[in-house]
Amino acid sequence: MATTKVPEVRDITRIERIGAHSHIRGLGLDDALEPRQVSQGMVGQLASRRAAGVILEMIKDGHIAGRAVLIAGQPGTGKTAIAMGIAQSLGLDTPFTALAGSEIFSLEMSKTEALSQAFRKAIGVRIKEETEIIEGEVVEIQIDRPATGTGSKVGKLTLKTTEMETIYDLGNKMIDSLSKEKVQAGDVITIDKATGKISKLGRSFTRARDYDAMGAQTQFVQCPEGELQKRKEVVHTVSLHEIDVINSRTQGFLALFSGDTGEIKSEVREQINAKVCEWREEGKAEIIPGVLFIDEVHMLDMECFSFLNRALESDLSPVLIMATNRGITRIRGTNYQSPHGIPIDLLDRLLIIATSPYTEKETKQILKIRCEEEDVELSEEAHTVLTRIGMETSLRYAIQLISTAGLVCRKRKGTEVQVEDIKRVYSLFLDEARSSQYMKEYQDSFLFNETQSAAMDTS
Amino acid sequence: MDSVSKQALEYLTEVEEAAEDVLSTKQQIVDLDMKRNRNREALHALKHEMPDEEKVKVCFGNMFIKFSKSKTQEMIQKDQEQLEKEINDLRRELKAKVKCLNDTEGKPELRGYNLSPLSADELKAVNSLLKR
Repeated sequence: MATTKVPEVRDITRIERIGAHSHIRGLGLDDALEPRQVSQGMVGQLASRRAAGVILEMIKDGHIAGRAVLIAGQPGTGKTAIAMGIAQSLGLDTPFTALAGSEIFSLEMSKTEALSQAFRKAIGVRIKEETEIIEGEVVEIQIDRPATGTGSKVGKLTLKTTEMETIYDLGNKMIDSLSKEKVQAGDVITIDKATGKISKLGRSFTRARDYDAMGAQTQFVQCPEGELQKRKEVVHTVSLHEIDVINSRTQGFLALFSGDTGEIKSEVREQINAKVCEWREEGKAEIIPGVLFIDEVHMLDMECFSFLNRALESDLSPVLIMATNRGITRIRGTNYQSPHGIPIDLLDRLLIIATSPYTEKETKQILKIRCEEEDVELSEEAHTVLTRIGMETSLRYAIQLISTAGLVCRKRKGTEVQVEDIKRVYSLFLDEARSSQYMKEYQDSFLFNETQSAAMDTS
Repeated sequence: MDSVSKQALEYLTEVEEAAEDVLSTKQQIVDLDMKRNRNREALHALKHEMPDEEKVKVCFGNMFIKFSKSKTQEMIQKDQEQLEKEINDLRRELKAKVKCLNDTEGKPELRGYNLSPLSADELKAVNSLLKR
């Protein structure tokens, strides 16, 4: 055999960057859904966390689908944190898709296509795979080669588990795949009964001392228990979007080259829907409505909102969670004003959770949690100073100062961030209020200063 | 014994019984599979290592009886089918019993295991998704 199989090396250590909400582990509720003051990275916002907890329970039980929730509040009051908390407590099996409102505007894809892909990413389909396998430790392989050198080989394979031992007679094909996998006595292998595929699980512990030196990738496993011929059942959860993608790929190879999916024809989606519904009726699939989270939802325009209205009515619809920090503002794409920049008819369908600004105590607690997350040690005074900064400017600015102050501290070879470090970064980096103050003072010396009178137009 | 410890004892007995039930079913499957493998070996030996006209000695309990080869093969074949069926039934029962055990222990039930499996063709269609 000329082809050698490159061993698959799986990297287990995942490099996790420290994100703005990486300290959130859940919603911080107890079993009775009562929020704890500080838990799982969440601080304060008791009422909104409780509300989120109620919705979370309903999602977990699968009672609600096609509902929408709006988290509304001032900037820096933990809207995204609550959404992340919901995502963390949903568990691995429930799909959670997050996107920012502005992400849907792209040249390659229409807005509604991007939205429907996001919707379908948030719906999971649970399916089961069932295979009959023979699993055992190889006791002996005996291969008889014909004396002439050509012709069919015959052989015997003895396999055992902790309970039994048996001999299999081997045909030509099996002998080939055994030697291809380099199976030898002492290996634990599985043979797929339907396809005859052999895979090596590792070497048996009892044979660990057979050789003195062994490659680093040699895995030792226990001799399998129980019967030799087992039934293996694996339950997979895939999203509707993933099924869409492979099915649109088999039809057009364009998608393969552009890297991502491009647009998916509505006929493909309809076919998939029909198939999945058929599977569900036959008891072959379960549908898990997941969660779609749209941050900065005021960035969507009128067309998107009407699409959302329509999409929520479909029977394959996830739970939609939106977050916005806008008050009464213009709906994008129209000249109408509306609360949160969301049309009244959509607003009417939403469950609205409000978040309120953090108190000083809560701010202090959040800064402490962030310090732990970013591995920065803060002295007591520096902590108090930082809390004041957080209250007077914004929580986000104070959080930014943590890592920068940490760097300054490390540069002077200190172990704990002192008030001086905070002062230094405070003078180095402007907060929003000081920055606008500076602008007002030196406006005349900036470029294009004649446009000062025109109001800023965000759309 | 006060009522609380009595209740606890009753509960524990219930759990133990359910667990015992699961274990004995598992052991039964193992025993049947062992028999199945022995039959398979015997069938193979009959097919390849014996001349057709010779009679074979078959062991029943503690007695050997001479039988014709074709007749023996037929008998073992029938036995195999029976075993196959029994194992399948036991596996189905096992699922219900594990569920029952999980219930009495207050553990969440396994999700999705009551689904019926996808057919081979359907699996092939979604295979690239599953082998990640």
